[in-house]
Amino acid sequence: MLALVENSKSLKESTMMTSSEIAPLKLGIVGCGAAAEQGHIPAAVVSDKVELAVLVDTNIARANKLADRFSVPRVAEDYKEIFGQADAAIVALPHALHAPISIDFLNRGIHVLVEKPMAPSTAECDRMITAARQSGATLAVGLVRRFRYIDQFIKALFDSGFLGKIESFDLREGNIYNWPIASDFYFRKEMACGGVLMDTGAHALDTLLWWFGDYESFDYFDDNMGGIEADCQIHLKMKNSVRGFVDLSRIRNLRNTIIIKSEKATVEVHVHRFQISIQPKGLHKKIVGDVVESYGAEWKARSVKDLFTAQLEDWVEAIQNGGQPLVPGEEARKSVELIEACYQNRKLLELPWQRCKTV
Amino acid sequence: MNQPRYATINLKGKRVLVTGGTGSIGGHLVERLVMECQAEVRVLIRNFARASRVARFPIQMVPGDIVDPSAVHQAMEGCDIVFHLAYGSSKETTQGTKNVLKAALEHKLERVVHVSTISVYGQTADGDLDESALRKYSGESYADSKLKAEKLAFHYFRKYGVPVSIIQPTIVYGPFIGSWTVRIINQLKNERVILPEEAKEGLCNAVYVDDVVEAMLLVATRDKAVGEAFLISAEEPVTWWEFYAAYEQILGTKSVIFASQSDLADLNRQYKREHGTIHQVLTTFRRIDVLLWITQLPAVARFIRLTEGIIPRSWWQHLKNTIILHGSTRQSGPLVSEEKPLRLLTDAQNREFKARTRVRIDKAKRLLGYQPRFDLEEGMRLTEIWAKYANLV
Ligand SMILES: NC(=O)c1ccc[n+]([C@@H]2O[C@H](COP(=O)([O-])OP(=O)(O)OC[C@H]3O[C@@H](n4cnc5c(N)ncnc54)[C@H](O)[C@@H]3O)[C@@H](O)[C@H]2O)c1
Repeated sequence: MLALVENSKSLKESTMMTSSEIAPLKLGIVGCGAAAEQGHIPAAVVSDKVELAVLVDTNIARANKLADRFSVPRVAEDYKEIFGQADAAIVALPHALHAPISIDFLNRGIHVLVEKPMAPSTAECDRMITAARQSGATLAVGLVRRFRYIDQFIKALFDSGFLGKIESFDLREGNIYNWPIASDFYFRKEMACGGVLMDTGAHALDTLLWWFGDYESFDYFDDNMGGIEADCQIHLKMKNSVRGFVDLSRIRNLRNTIIIKSEKATVEVHVHRFQISIQPKGLHKKIVGDVVESYGAEWKARSVKDLFTAQLEDWVEAIQNGGQPLVPGEEARKSVELIEACYQNRKLLELPWQRCKTV
Repeated sequence: MNQPRYATINLKGKRVLVTGGTGSIGGHLVERLVMECQAEVRVLIRNFARASRVARFPIQMVPGDIVDPSAVHQAMEGCDIVFHLAYGSSKETTQGTKNVLKAALEHKLERVVHVSTISVYGQTADGDLDESALRKYSGESYADSKLKAEKLAFHYFRKYGVPVSIIQPTIVYGPFIGSWTVRIINQLKNERVILPEEAKEGLCNAVYVDDVVEAMLLVATRDKAVGEAFLISAEEPVTWWEFYAAYEQILGTKSVIFASQSDLADLNRQYKREHGTIHQVLTTFRRIDVLLWITQLPAVARFIRLTEGIIPRSWWQHLKNTIILHGSTRQSGPLVSEEKPLRLLTDAQNREFKARTRVRIDKAKRLLGYQPRFDLEEGMRLTEIWAKYANLV
């Protein structure tokens, strides 16, 4: 167990160092589930900007296992144990815990990178934003897709006017559930606060709102019969009059791409792989490939692993330079707002083979 | 169009445990138990990653594995009825069933619905089949473990008076069903499927999943069901050809090739020679393999005629076009155009497709009032709507 040290001087000292002598930020990861194992821990281990000091999980066996595997010096069962031990915390916990535990950190001046969805409600998002503002801690949200070159490229392409007027989008994202979960929280309403919309939807809607701007209206349908939805569909109309369709699933293998039609071309973007295709209108040819970025003379694609590293280092840089992270709370709140509105206005998805038509 | 209806079975106030509730049939059962029967449903969950379908309903999800006696015992606490659908490896199936029966005895459940299978009768003879037929081991591990499980169920009924009722469904198909819907659709989509000529008349006792669920609810609630086993199928069987053709129609493709027994024997012999192993497991050939190898076959001329006869002209044309469009430099003769790998039949499959067993459901009708509502056309109508929604087509 770790000793409990109240609001640390060491934190203040470390953040006040000049850039030439910046010591690595002491980091704690809270919640050692699949997201931590696949993304956050490997990213922290390879980054020289942080020192991964402690892993926290109520399932201490899980924390121990990962601490052994990644050579992390300490583990803890209760996140409160790390208050004096870490300058910054990654919160990769069940959705219902995002706000309360993040706020507890932020109030103590501990910087937070919280997983998506930022929180299950906008009210909680607002409290998180306020807590960060008051203590001066940096709050970033783990909408990791924003770090994909491909998504950044698309955004720039749209903004450049290269494609002419954007007309519509059609997103189908789904797999027969295969995420290597470490707990059952995703399927428990109290902890997950929703189904596929709250989970996959947090990424998907963030991307769409980022690319196409605010929405004007929507129709939302899902298959929830008193638990949490496995499937949902949204018809969206954006303020710039772009129309779109979103189909998300945990029980169907969908195509996992977004198809965007514009005045001049059709663009298809894969949501998991880094693949894009552009087909000019009227031409039966298209280009298909990866998006790369230049590093001096070198051009590089970004892997999934790189995304988590980029996300982590962007947040650390914001902490150290006092700037904004790529995805601050205000930005992540937008998709939470739409998710919340969808749930409040839900209609039942029509499933003709299902015997029971009413909830 | 509306679906056929069943009489409502009321289980209000009843606590029900479902094992295997995260499975494809279990998902349909849980839906009806919750939404229509108004039962209080508990599902024993080994792997929460599979819980997406049942998590849509207001149910209690208890983590646990059927092979763990204390998990099963705890899960059954306070329950009135258990539906036992879970199965796994041979050992998991028998051990799990024993755990369920023991817990049911300890908690004095009012009904144990054990879901068995027609496979407990082994290789069935042509003609009518009813529950008086001899159960026999077939050497196939799934079938044999289900027979052991069924014997355990009868044993607990006879020796300890556990009120067990057993259903033996036939070829179950419908939305979400892996074995006879998703698997067949994927095969027809990605491969050329060979059926023996005899499958044109061989009988497929297909039953739509909702009829199976209805039978489960009936055996759970009818007194006469205690200590009995019931074969559950549709009103009449269809031919295997009709069954596969229904999927081909959904897909809009023709992927089934009928082959005579001598063609099949040639193919198998050749395959064994080339690959040196006896393939009890299903074997698919990758494209190039098949092409090179098929052209060496003595029966190749017959084979070409066979495939040409089956595959319509427009389809050949289409295949040629795709090949050419994709810039292949190969000649676009008929065999080269065949892009999909070929799947050989195992001996057991060959026998199954040839058999003309007609499953009788008179006992279920008489004792349970079971009346299947779905024929192949109606069942496939809903299956098609689902398959399209599920992006399988
Ligand atoms: N950015 C992404 O691409 C991405 C991918 C997957 C998950 N996520 C998000 O990451 C978060 C975690 O998801 P996951 O897939 O790792 O889930 P998971 O079920 O695999 O892990 C959750 C972990 O949290 C632990 N936990 C629960 N309550 C705790 C508490 N009070 N204190 C400490 N530990 C506790 C559990 O024991 C478990 O190890 C979720 O918000 C999820 O939406 C993001």
